[in-house]
Amino acid sequence: MTKKYETEAPGYTMTTVMEEAARCLLCHDAPCSKACPADTDPARFIRSVRFNNVKGAAETIRENNALGAICARVCPTEKYCELACSRTGIDCPIDIGGIQRYVTDFEQAAKMDILKQGKSNGKHIAIVGSGPAGLQVATTMLTKGYAVDIYEKNEKAGGYLTYGIPEYRLPNDIVEYEIKRIINLGANIHYNTTVGDDIMMDDLKANNDAVVVAVGASESKVLPMFANNENVETAVGFLARVKEAKGNITDLPENAVVIGGGDVAMDVATTLRRLDVKNVTDMAYEEFDEFKASKKELKGTREAGVTIVDGYVPTAVNGNEVTFKHRHIDSEMTIKSNKIILAVGQRVNAANLNITIDKHEEVPYAGYGTADPKVFVTGDIAQGDKTVVWAVRKGKEVAEQIDKMIMDKDKEADLVGGNE
Amino acid sequence: MIKKDLSVDFLGVHFENPFLLSSSPVGNCYEMCAKAFDEGWAGVAFKTIGPKHFKVDEVSPRFDELTKEGTPFVGFKNMEQIAEHPLEQNLHDLKKLKENYPTKIIIASIMGTNEQDWEELAQLVTEAKADMIEMNLSCPQMTSHDMGSDVGTNPELVKKYCAAVRRGSDLPILAKMTPNITDMVPAAKASMDGGADGIATINTVKSIANLDIDRKTALPTVDGKGSVSGFSGKAVKPIALRFIQQLREAAGMEQLPISGIGGIETWQDAAEFLLLGATTLQVTTSVMQYGYRIVEDMKNGLMHYMEEQGIDHLSEIIGAANKSIVPVDSLNRDYKVYPKIDWDKCIGCGRCYISCFDGAHQAIQWNEEARRPTVDIDKCVGCHLCNLVCPVGAISTGEVVMKPGREGNPEDIKIESPRLTHF
Repeated sequence: MTKKYETEAPGYTMTTVMEEAARCLLCHDAPCSKACPADTDPARFIRSVRFNNVKGAAETIRENNALGAICARVCPTEKYCELACSRTGIDCPIDIGGIQRYVTDFEQAAKMDILKQGKSNGKHIAIVGSGPAGLQVATTMLTKGYAVDIYEKNEKAGGYLTYGIPEYRLPNDIVEYEIKRIINLGANIHYNTTVGDDIMMDDLKANNDAVVVAVGASESKVLPMFANNENVETAVGFLARVKEAKGNITDLPENAVVIGGGDVAMDVATTLRRLDVKNVTDMAYEEFDEFKASKKELKGTREAGVTIVDGYVPTAVNGNEVTFKHRHIDSEMTIKSNKIILAVGQRVNAANLNITIDKHEEVPYAGYGTADPKVFVTGDIAQGDKTVVWAVRKGKEVAEQIDKMIMDKDKEADLVGGNE
Repeated sequence: MIKKDLSVDFLGVHFENPFLLSSSPVGNCYEMCAKAFDEGWAGVAFKTIGPKHFKVDEVSPRFDELTKEGTPFVGFKNMEQIAEHPLEQNLHDLKKLKENYPTKIIIASIMGTNEQDWEELAQLVTEAKADMIEMNLSCPQMTSHDMGSDVGTNPELVKKYCAAVRRGSDLPILAKMTPNITDMVPAAKASMDGGADGIATINTVKSIANLDIDRKTALPTVDGKGSVSGFSGKAVKPIALRFIQQLREAAGMEQLPISGIGGIETWQDAAEFLLLGATTLQVTTSVMQYGYRIVEDMKNGLMHYMEEQGIDHLSEIIGAANKSIVPVDSLNRDYKVYPKIDWDKCIGCGRCYISCFDGAHQAIQWNEEARRPTVDIDKCVGCHLCNLVCPVGAISTGEVVMKPGREGNPEDIKIESPRLTHF
């Protein structure tokens, strides 16, 4: 029964990946490579595939991105590399995500260990949260020779990768494989440990050269009218429940309404259909020409048989009856359903971390520093896009910044020492 | 659907179209040939029949392919020898094919180890009512040095064996030549001197297509070992065309009857062989890959080509290209033609820029902002590498200029695209 939920779409074979790579024009100064937020170089790894060097392709991806196998699956490539692809001038862009998935699957099958732990520099950092940004920070720092401790409030690492993105889009064994590699690099993950509760920020600061807060926006927002409604569940809660049970949940409704128009809403609605919930209606605030979810997600949701209604906002709720009004035209509809799932955005829980979070669910300033020179932020709570590929970028950037700070401090100390 | 007369007359035999199965696994028994005839092939060179005393003993596996990017069968390597079926069976099949398909042409391919073999086989296939004999003097993977390409590279033996076949039969005789030779003309002449009426060429090219780089031997591996053996398919077409042109260029061989073989899989390939002087066309590799049905598009495409050329008979174009292919020292070297870039078609991939810089004369300038190329005519030599690498056909031939100090009017020079333009 959960097969549709658990089964990922098939990837390329050795033959079909070559056919796709052969479509690539192998551009000079390739636009795709300039369009990746995480600085992945698709032009380089596609060329490697084209010349039968899949191991080299895997190195190009992995050395740049600790989560290459995950990005291959979940990155909205249509907004980045594939949007820039020159092949679009002929027909349609190269399936860069698909080729990346083939390469990272090969990397896994061939048991390649591309990243190596750097020679210890005697420095320590602590990371709060093991979502994509935290994992990337850990990886970059480990390769530079830092000792890394990660504090994760849940029993498993990965954050939204583990507890959010559905199995058919991102199989858990892929996430586990990526995390395992980072543990093998030397990351020390403390599970079931909430910073500010089980261990204090002051302790982390005292025992480390820097602390990076990468807690993300881990809680679903609830519109006030839905508070304490027993028919309502949050998207984050629902997705986590389904993923943990591998789709084997018993209280499935006969029909459901999902509220939201982003990728999370699409994930919830598609998951419901893949678990054979008969009627699933998604009500989105945005109209289709301004839709937030990626085209790929939207297409998958439609193919799963979800009814998507765009441009409507909920105005009233009475038990399991929700009334929606169109934002621009005079139109109203009321839907009664067994279940209402809210996918209307997420909020940050930064309790006891001494981090200021504004109404946009991020720090109220650009960059990764905080008032405390030893404390940094990254991931979704830092300003910028909230996708996995951006988490990777922010993870790499904050790592470089911290490394520079610590190394500069060392140099300064050496100079002072020399003058004495 | 277009209808044109594709028939050709070759060595006194009438073929309903030029397309034949070449002597190989694709024409190995009655059933196969019958199916091919039903699908439109005009005839078959039945898989080579050897003497009774030569025992065929094949290896497993026996094929390999050369690929490029996602393209399979760019070239094909095989290790098969001649027909495995008993002599009587083969003769029986020839006879039955002719009885049941009287308008189709049955060419009996034969191969002996000595004069007596050749003469006897010629007699036997003549009695079996074959229309024509093809002497296989060219298989490169025979387990006997008295057979195959070891014979075909020795003009004296070729002549002797052709004479033996002539003694054994009054049927038209084709001598099938090997490309594993620098100059095919002496062997071809020797075969004609011995009594052959025409040439079939090319047989396969001796090759190693790929190595198994773990086991460190050639593919296919047979119990851990590999061998040099014959290569065929699209990749050998240029070699086949070259040999055919050079045969037809040789003094006294301008009208040499040729059955063309080597990488034919589309009507364009067929047209090329015809234009160089082949009258019939033999095909194996593309049939092994795609089946007999490929003949449908070869025939139909050729009919459209005839229509475009305004001809009613293929004989009007056979050999039509021979005279315009000249030695390199006879080509006009007084001018150059610059590439012309159509910026509306250009999609900004920069491949022309890379190839010109890394492989030619650094004559294409690249505008990084606009992602568009321009030609620097001071550096451009007019080689048109850019034209060939452009994926969208945005680069064509443009202005013609005479080289400094050379005479002539640029307007009198015939400028064509270096690319295949006829689809």
